[in-house]
Amino acid sequence: MIGELIQLGRDALLFRHEAYVQHAARADALKRGLALLVLVTLVGGVVSLIVDIVGDLRPTDIEAELAQVEEGFQAFLQNMEAFTDLPPDFKKGFYQGLRAVRPGIEIGTRIDDLPTPLPKPLGVLLSNLGNFLSRPFNRLAGWIGYGLWAMLIAKLLGGRATVSRMLGTTALYATPHILDVLKPVPCLGGMLGLVAAVWGIAIYVKGLAVANEFSVGRAIAATVLPALIFLVLALIGLVGLLVFGLALGGA
Amino acid sequence: MKELIRLAWEALFLKEDPYAEMRDSSNAVVRGLALVALVAVAVALVGLVGTTLEWATTPNMGDMQRIVREGIQQMDWYKEMESNPQFREQFQQQFEMGWRIFPQVFGAPSFARAGLRIVLLPLRLVLTWFLYGVVAHLFARMLGGQGNLGQTLGSTALAAAPQLLNLATFFPYLVVGGVVGTWMLLCRYVALKTCHRLRWGRALAATLLPYALLAVVVSIFACLGGVVGAMIFGGGTPQ
Repeated sequence: MIGELIQLGRDALLFRHEAYVQHAARADALKRGLALLVLVTLVGGVVSLIVDIVGDLRPTDIEAELAQVEEGFQAFLQNMEAFTDLPPDFKKGFYQGLRAVRPGIEIGTRIDDLPTPLPKPLGVLLSNLGNFLSRPFNRLAGWIGYGLWAMLIAKLLGGRATVSRMLGTTALYATPHILDVLKPVPCLGGMLGLVAAVWGIAIYVKGLAVANEFSVGRAIAATVLPALIFLVLALIGLVGLLVFGLALGGA
Repeated sequence: MKELIRLAWEALFLKEDPYAEMRDSSNAVVRGLALVALVAVAVALVGLVGTTLEWATTPNMGDMQRIVREGIQQMDWYKEMESNPQFREQFQQQFEMGWRIFPQVFGAPSFARAGLRIVLLPLRLVLTWFLYGVVAHLFARMLGGQGNLGQTLGSTALAAAPQLLNLATFFPYLVVGGVVGTWMLLCRYVALKTCHRLRWGRALAATLLPYALLAVVVSIFACLGGVVGAMIFGGGTPQ
């Protein structure tokens, strides 16, 4: 089963048309697509899980954490200064904000030190595992929510896919996210995340075209239009809020 | 029971066969009711296990409350204000009130809630299933559907299948999230399309119209509530 899924993932990554067609035609396309999505998401999150567990098991050093936060603040200020002259009040406000962080960190540390019925390390392990196992559900929610709209547009454009075939083939979009395994690597992780996202969109388009038996042009439209509609609606909402705010201010 | 679990599992993957099987069943309503209740009780029981494990790995809430209060009282802005007795009293009241609300909102483990869910979740799911089934049946018939009410209720009961994902909450700190609601919507679409032999557009309309009706009813009640509230708190009288 795993071997078959790896083969399917490899074919999806390489855009092998025959593999897409065969996958879409299978009665268990959705089951296989989902299994691949879950597998990829879990494998992609393994390194982050280990990093998180190790980080949470280390004793907390308030001064080190504060120094880290201050470093972040200073880097942000330097970046801002490269573009514009910051007024002195702005910087002062930032450092006041930094001072306000300390009590928050202290509260967090004291709560961390409180006893629990089960041993602390077990709690750390379970909470990180819980977050790790939630990852496939987060991905499923995004994919299925977007898929609804993409499916509607595909149908309006003459698509012929059933719900299970459509979801089964578009689930392959998750395959490049295997690169998320390198997410904790600074800089490289972010770049690979971007590559995975773009690659995943291309696979989504291909899957949509194959499932609906229509052209890539229509598949691109069905993939992009829901996002565009959301964007336009968000802009309309924003403008509405602004107008409302201005009207209230003028009243 | 084994048969119901098989049907629910197959329905989860949105194939039409399990929905057609339920439609053609002689006692579709009873089987549907049993399926919804079974899924709900299983999910609630499993959730209780997850909650227990979360409780066992979480510090005492009273101790956490004390630390947060002490931490806030050490902050500069609090020290500036604490000489004002009115502020101290208000802070105390608002802190106590916030502590009653926020831990629940942010998912602090609660045995009482998890225990109550064993009764409330089956009730909620059965009621939702029945109301949705009846309203969706009316819309489906208006749109040319061929199924009867029993068949509609039987088929739409399979839309409870995505609740099976919540069985994963056996694991503490695991969040299933919004996927269940969306998946249920898809199952309802397949159920109505199969049960009433509708084309996709009509099936989609029959699936969504009950939600639209609910939105309209909620809006009307919200408006009415607003008017009544304005009359009570605004001191006005009905004309």
